[in-house]
Amino acid sequence: MRRNDGFAYPPLRQRLYSVWYRHMRVYTRNLLSNGLPPFLEPLLFLVGVGLGLGRYITESMEGLAYIEFLGTGLLVTTAMFTASFECTYGTFIRLEYDRVYDGMLAAPITASNLIVGEILWAGTKGFFFSFAVLCILTAFQILHLPQALLAPFVGFLTGVMFASMSLLVTSFVKTINHFNFYMTGFLSPMFFFSGVVFPVSNLPPTVRFVAEIVPLTHAVRLARAACTSRYDVHLLGDLAYIAVFIALVGALAVRRLRRRLVN
Amino acid sequence: MKVIRVSEINKTFGSVRAVCGLSFEVEQGACFGLLGSNGAGKTTMMKMIYGKATRDKSCQGQIDVFGYDPARDELAVKYLSGVVPQEDNLDEELNVIQNLLIYSKFYALPTRVARERIASLLAFLELSDKAKSKIKELSGGMKRRLVIARALLNDPKLLILDEPTTGLDPQVRHVIWEKLRQLRSQGTTILLTTHYMEEAFQICDTVLIMDKGEKVMEDSPIRLLEDNIERYVLEIPDGEPGRTVERECSVEGVRLDCAQGMCRFYSNELDRLKEVAETLSGDPYYLRQANLEDVFLKATGRGLNETQ
Repeated sequence: MRRNDGFAYPPLRQRLYSVWYRHMRVYTRNLLSNGLPPFLEPLLFLVGVGLGLGRYITESMEGLAYIEFLGTGLLVTTAMFTASFECTYGTFIRLEYDRVYDGMLAAPITASNLIVGEILWAGTKGFFFSFAVLCILTAFQILHLPQALLAPFVGFLTGVMFASMSLLVTSFVKTINHFNFYMTGFLSPMFFFSGVVFPVSNLPPTVRFVAEIVPLTHAVRLARAACTSRYDVHLLGDLAYIAVFIALVGALAVRRLRRRLVN
Repeated sequence: MKVIRVSEINKTFGSVRAVCGLSFEVEQGACFGLLGSNGAGKTTMMKMIYGKATRDKSCQGQIDVFGYDPARDELAVKYLSGVVPQEDNLDEELNVIQNLLIYSKFYALPTRVARERIASLLAFLELSDKAKSKIKELSGGMKRRLVIARALLNDPKLLILDEPTTGLDPQVRHVIWEKLRQLRSQGTTILLTTHYMEEAFQICDTVLIMDKGEKVMEDSPIRLLEDNIERYVLEIPDGEPGRTVERECSVEGVRLDCAQGMCRFYSNELDRLKEVAETLSGDPYYLRQANLEDVFLKATGRGLNETQ
């Protein structure tokens, strides 16, 4: 038998890349409608909330002007939201409605390759969305280069983290409407209680404890430190949290979702 | 040389037994058809061959494709095979060429090689004019041919097609059959599922009829006809539609089967059926050769089962 033929299949790197490439091509196909909102959204937010509301907030937050505080938080929430939408609604539609995965899994990739490729793509979107916010913040001279250039990498980590969690959620979801619970019950509260709009340090101890458990808080801290070059040793704890979270939740998501792809 | 060997395979979904103790072998360069009604287990069997579904762990059965077990070496099996799934899952956002280009990455084809290969595949499937078209602009038949082109990107040694022509018009079906015959003559092994008897008859060297997950019969289409059914059929609409009436048949060597508003007289001799027709005193009738559909319905029954 031609036993050697089959071993010519592409290596892992190529298999992950081809999944990523597929998503990238589909996303960049509508460059204007997909690429413009990431820039417009932070612009609106800064003008509306930052300049409007911010005028009444004169107290500094963690030693930052309010617009600076909020802006550095938005760098990661934008990555959180884009990765979460991609890996909930996006993944579900590819899985159940468009049946895109049925076609992809006929090619020489495994279900696990497909899921990890998906996570990497969501991380890339996180990077890009953070970068867009960074551009706006820099244009308004709220942040200063070059140190803030590290922020999109935090955006990537945030994207990977929330992609893993969203895929885990997706593995349980039977109808697309169930994602509403995840969005309004989990992501929206996190937006308000993870030190994006105001510092977590002044929250009551119980709420503060919850804030330390959820993933966004740690990503916000990293991004803010990167933008302001104020590093301290506690950031290693945040970094460790993110690494462990990605490894555990990611592995669980792959395990559960694989069973839905290969029956 | 056998390309596929399947022996004693079981697959259960919850309490539903989709495939029960199925065995078959596919010779290299042959076209093998799994024929059965909806829910007979054809697609499930096919998915187990390229690793999209897993067989029951409890079963002792084996699947061997090019010497690989898809449960362990799915990548090797997929690298050597092309798959046309039941649904045309093309990327609507991309045009025809782009759809094929993104798949060429899965096989690590260099872009230049991929472009040449895509051009020749589009020509082969008569889609060259549509290279730049959006997927929405394609007809059902064009989409199907594009999915076939996609499956052929890596020059597969085994082509797996799940209901390749379901829902397509006769012209497109004949074109697709012709392309499949060409591929087979070039040495490609073909495994397909279908519930069209004509499709099985037209292109398959061997047909395996499945019912409720089990093999009912397996042979070449001609032999299936010769061994299992009389050569001619006389069809007469029953007077009272929907009711099965037992009619008496007085002519010798003629078998009668009445179901769903139609009485069918079967015989190996045409003259016998003409004799029957003469007794009808002008009622409409249809005298024809028996086909695979008659074999299939005889083997699997005329009524619907719970999975249809």
